[in-house]
Amino acid sequence: AEVEETLKRIQSQKGVQGIIVVNAEGIPIKTTMDNATTVQYTGLIHQLVLKARSTVRDIDPQNDLTFLRVRSKKNEIMVAPDKEYFLIVIQNPTE
Amino acid sequence: QIFDDSGKDVTPQPLFHLDPNTIHPKQSKLFSSQDATVAHGSEMLSSISIQQTGATASFVGPFTRSTFGSSSISKSSQSTLESMTEETEESIVRRDVSISLSDYQVRREVREPLTEESLNKIVAIYLTETETMELLDMPAVMVSVETEEAQSIREKNEAYMMLCKNRAGNDQYVERMMQTFDEAPKNKEVQCEKINIADADIAVMATTWDMYDTFNSEETIALSTKAAVGGPVSQSQSKSSSQMSLSRGQETGMSKNSFGKDSYSSTIIDVDNAIVAQIPEEEQKSAEEILKSEKFQQDLFVMERILMQNVFQPRQASYRQLPVLTVYIRPVQPKMFCTNYYHNKYPDYKPEVSENEEFKAVSVKTKTPSLDRLWSFTCELTKGHNVSSMAWNKKNLDILAVGYGQFDFKEQKGGLACCWSLKNPVWPERIFHFESGVTALDFSEASPSLLAVGLYDGTVAICNVQSNQDTPVLDSSDCNNKHIGPVWELKWIEQDRGTTGDDKGEVLISISADGRVTKWHIRKGLDSSDLMKLKRTGNEKIRKLPGDKEKKSEAFISRQAPGMCFDFHPKDTNIYLAGTEEGQIHKCSCSYNEQFLDTYKAHKGPVYKIAWSPFAHDVFLSCSADWSIFLWRQDLSKPVLSFYSTTKAVHSIRWSPKSATLFGTVNEGRVEIWDLSVSILDPIVVSSAGPGAKLTTLLFAQTTDCVLIGDSDGQVSVYELENI
Repeated sequence: AEVEETLKRIQSQKGVQGIIVVNAEGIPIKTTMDNATTVQYTGLIHQLVLKARSTVRDIDPQNDLTFLRVRSKKNEIMVAPDKEYFLIVIQNPTE
Repeated sequence: QIFDDSGKDVTPQPLFHLDPNTIHPKQSKLFSSQDATVAHGSEMLSSISIQQTGATASFVGPFTRSTFGSSSISKSSQSTLESMTEETEESIVRRDVSISLSDYQVRREVREPLTEESLNKIVAIYLTETETMELLDMPAVMVSVETEEAQSIREKNEAYMMLCKNRAGNDQYVERMMQTFDEAPKNKEVQCEKINIADADIAVMATTWDMYDTFNSEETIALSTKAAVGGPVSQSQSKSSSQMSLSRGQETGMSKNSFGKDSYSSTIIDVDNAIVAQIPEEEQKSAEEILKSEKFQQDLFVMERILMQNVFQPRQASYRQLPVLTVYIRPVQPKMFCTNYYHNKYPDYKPEVSENEEFKAVSVKTKTPSLDRLWSFTCELTKGHNVSSMAWNKKNLDILAVGYGQFDFKEQKGGLACCWSLKNPVWPERIFHFESGVTALDFSEASPSLLAVGLYDGTVAICNVQSNQDTPVLDSSDCNNKHIGPVWELKWIEQDRGTTGDDKGEVLISISADGRVTKWHIRKGLDSSDLMKLKRTGNEKIRKLPGDKEKKSEAFISRQAPGMCFDFHPKDTNIYLAGTEEGQIHKCSCSYNEQFLDTYKAHKGPVYKIAWSPFAHDVFLSCSADWSIFLWRQDLSKPVLSFYSTTKAVHSIRWSPKSATLFGTVNEGRVEIWDLSVSILDPIVVSSAGPGAKLTTLLFAQTTDCVLIGDSDGQVSVYELENI
């Protein structure tokens, strides 16, 4: 219940375009955007996170990736990776 | 099947054709269906030709019917037969080829009906000679001795032989390396089937962390199982499962390796060793599990904060006195006075306002001190509640505790105490519900996660903000000496209690409307002992006026004066001041609980707040409902300075922690910042409250130039002080 409340608050936050929760296989299990966009984001970001995690751990195997933010001209993609899931939030902060 | 105008088959062919050698069952199906159309035939032909290494290169590509019907077909088919026999093929392939031969024959037969029909036609045939096309020109290297050139050729030959003899060891000849040029590459498109990685874990790069993970998991297994088993077990594990095992460090589990030795389970139940060699599929949590897991909640929490950071970045940055990122400044029209701090920071930014306005705004901005509203802490939960008290956490200066409770007796509803974090102004981190309104709050310094809450019904509760639970840890409702009236002020004080036998420690002191200043200690529950009882002193105005009859002294309903506020001396923690509802301020000491050391009388209404100056230790301020603020010195019984600026009760007053002459007050309609070095008659900054909300509390930020104002609508607004 608290999880849903928090998700609702995040979703209604200013500028948030969508939230996607992806499981470890790369399948989105919860999303607030349309199918096509979700699938696209999932596929691309999954690879990016794996690469980023691999990079971090290659340098020091005891380290691990905790958060990833990609800021572009139009919006910002924030990813909280974990062993079992990814949490992706896309926000346009200047909106 | 696509046919163009003249009936030719121009079906687009796939570029890649299945290898007939390996996938012959498929193709035999094709042919056995007797569906021998041109397309299949050309497919077969081109596929066979692709197989050959350049023997029939000219036949690659799409065919049209016109290219058949020549002896080249028979040639190619014969040569395919030959090449087939060369390779180690089963007879099935020969059958295929023979099928294809028969197929061609079929095609040729198909032709004949046409020619018979057109036999009757008179066809004109034109024979022309084309120009000679040289297909191959190989000049001769032999010349007859009798030709004219023979002599010259002989000479040339001899010269060449001489050359060859002289070449060895001659300085005129130098050995050189040569580089061959790379010819321009020609692109050829190829299609292939999807490459199935049978086991995704096998085809991986040997990355540093991969090796680290497998090494670690090997180690943990070797610890609990026998060494001989350790090697193969680790190999049988896949990479992902070893990763999983490390992540589930604290879980005990059965080691389900391929050996299936259950006897190991007893040795494995050892919390420190992460030995969960489970098959990867079992590690995949279902969607609901993920969504409910703790980790997910935590991640959401962090994500919310980061979102807030994005949204609130300019204001929070100015709060923390960090540079503001321009990305977040939206091109808004600065309408209100508050928002023109953009002008200040980005003077070359020109919004679409008239020249005069802009100039005025800028010029006003740079001269006078002002309050800029940054943001406010508010959520639906707190709407409608009156903010009664605020306190910063002593250890983590980003955490703010706000108490919500009504001041009036009539409007009592439930109270709340919320812990807000600066990083998330939209939702409080902790919410504690109480039955009666919260009237006072303070964070402890010795144990920074303890929050003491004073309620309207006199209860003192202690909450632990580290835990997520809603209820307080300790409550004084069962206590014998609990307060009977609302607790108006609570403070944790570091006291030197050497005389009473306790070590120097922190005490919780409260003052309430039942006239008692009590000290609370936590020994097997909350218990209190009174520091002082505030006695009512007689109203000295009732003096005998000449000519008046003697009046009896008033009979009091209660001998005790309700206490409204107190403050301990910053240096000497034995001395404190207590303000009462009668308007008197008593200086008391912890060592004497019968007598006041001194009394300061000047206020005509209840004293709402007293504050010692943090810089000048003899000076204190008091504010009261009689619209006045007095500045006192400890040794003088009359106030040194008095400040009157409005006709509303002054609810709160605080010294600025940074500047010795600055203090802020809140009365019902507005917030005022006074600077004694500038003027003692007027405040330097006045900011009015929005309509419908009364401002009730004030708090200065410890490290930055910001001030927090609470109002009766449940909002706590953060303002930045500029130009002070």
